[in-house]
Amino acid sequence: MATLSLCASSLAAKSAAAPALSSTTPSMPLSQSQTVAFLCHSLSSLRLTTPCSKRGTPSSSFVPKYSETEAAAPSLTEPPETEIVESPVQQQPKKEEVFAVVMIGSRQYIVIPGRYIYTQRLKGAKENDKIILNKVLLVGTKTSTYIGKPVVPNAAVHAVVEEQLLDKKVIVFKYKKKKNYRRNIGHRQPITRIRIMGITGYEDSPAVTLP
Amino acid sequence: MNKKEVFKLAKGFRGRAKNCIRIARERVEKALQYSYRDRRNKKRDMRSLWIERINAGTRQHGVNYGNFMHGLMKENIQLNRKVLSELSMHEPHSFKALVDISRTAFPGNKKPVLASKKEGLAVVL
Repeated sequence: MATLSLCASSLAAKSAAAPALSSTTPSMPLSQSQTVAFLCHSLSSLRLTTPCSKRGTPSSSFVPKYSETEAAAPSLTEPPETEIVESPVQQQPKKEEVFAVVMIGSRQYIVIPGRYIYTQRLKGAKENDKIILNKVLLVGTKTSTYIGKPVVPNAAVHAVVEEQLLDKKVIVFKYKKKKNYRRNIGHRQPITRIRIMGITGYEDSPAVTLP
Repeated sequence: MNKKEVFKLAKGFRGRAKNCIRIARERVEKALQYSYRDRRNKKRDMRSLWIERINAGTRQHGVNYGNFMHGLMKENIQLNRKVLSELSMHEPHSFKALVDISRTAFPGNKKPVLASKKEGLAVVL
C-alpha cells in the first residue's frame, strides 16, 4: 500500500489510523508508494503518501473549495494539481466550523480546513504529497470540543504539501566590539507550505459539549 | 557591506543616518546587532505575552494562571502557551472547557471565585 508508518511511536492513534486510510484506497496501484524518512524525531507523527494520479475521479479539485482561503495560495503551484488529488477521506467531516490543534515537528498549529500553514521543512516530502498528521491535540467544532490527553485518539488532519520554499532572508550580523570581528551572513530557512484538507476521526472520542 | 546595501537598509532612518555613509553604516550595524539579539529575545517576550493572555483568560473563570497550568499538567494536556492564548482569545468556549477540566483536576481550583458584585453605598443605606 501507499502508506507506510514512520518511526512508530507509542501513540495509539497512529496504528489505529493506518487501516482506516488504506481501506479507502483499495484500487491504488502499488507503483506510487513512497516512504519518506524524516530526520527529525519530532516529525514522527507524520505519515506520508504520494498522490496517485491514476484514480478515476477527476472532479474534486481542492483549490478554491473554501471561501476563507487566502488569495495568494491556490494558483501558485502548478496547474495539474487540480486533477491529481482525490482523497476519499476528506469528504466526511463537516466542512464548516471545525478546527484542530496539531503538532508538527514540536510546534503546535491551529489548523482550519481549507487554509494553508507554513511549517518547518518536511524533509523528503514532495509537492502534492498527501500527509496525515496524527498528533492532534485538540479538535473543536461548533458544538463540542475534543480535548486530547495528550492526543485525541484516531483523530487525523489530512494535508497536502503545496510548496517547498525558503523563508525570507535574515541577515545574521555578528559583531564583537574592540576585537575586530564581524560576520555578515545571509540565511534563508527552508520551510514548507501545506494546505489543510480535512480533519477526521475525532467523532467517537469523548467530547465536552459547549453551550 | 558596501554602500549600496547600507543605504538600502538605512531607509527610514532619522536625520543624517539615512544619507551619510559614515553615520548610516554605524547605525545599520547597530541595528543589525539589535535584530540579532532580538531574534533571541523575541522568544521570551512572546512567551511572557502568551502567559499574560492566558492569565487574563483564566481569571475570567476564577482560576489563576499557575493553577490552570498545573491542572493541565495533571491531566496531561500538552497544549503550549501559544495555542492556549489563541484559544483564550478566539475560542472562548473551548477555552472554558479547558478551564473546567483543569479545575476538576486540581482541587485547589475547586471553588470558582465568582466576581462579587460591588455594592454601592445605596445598598447599605
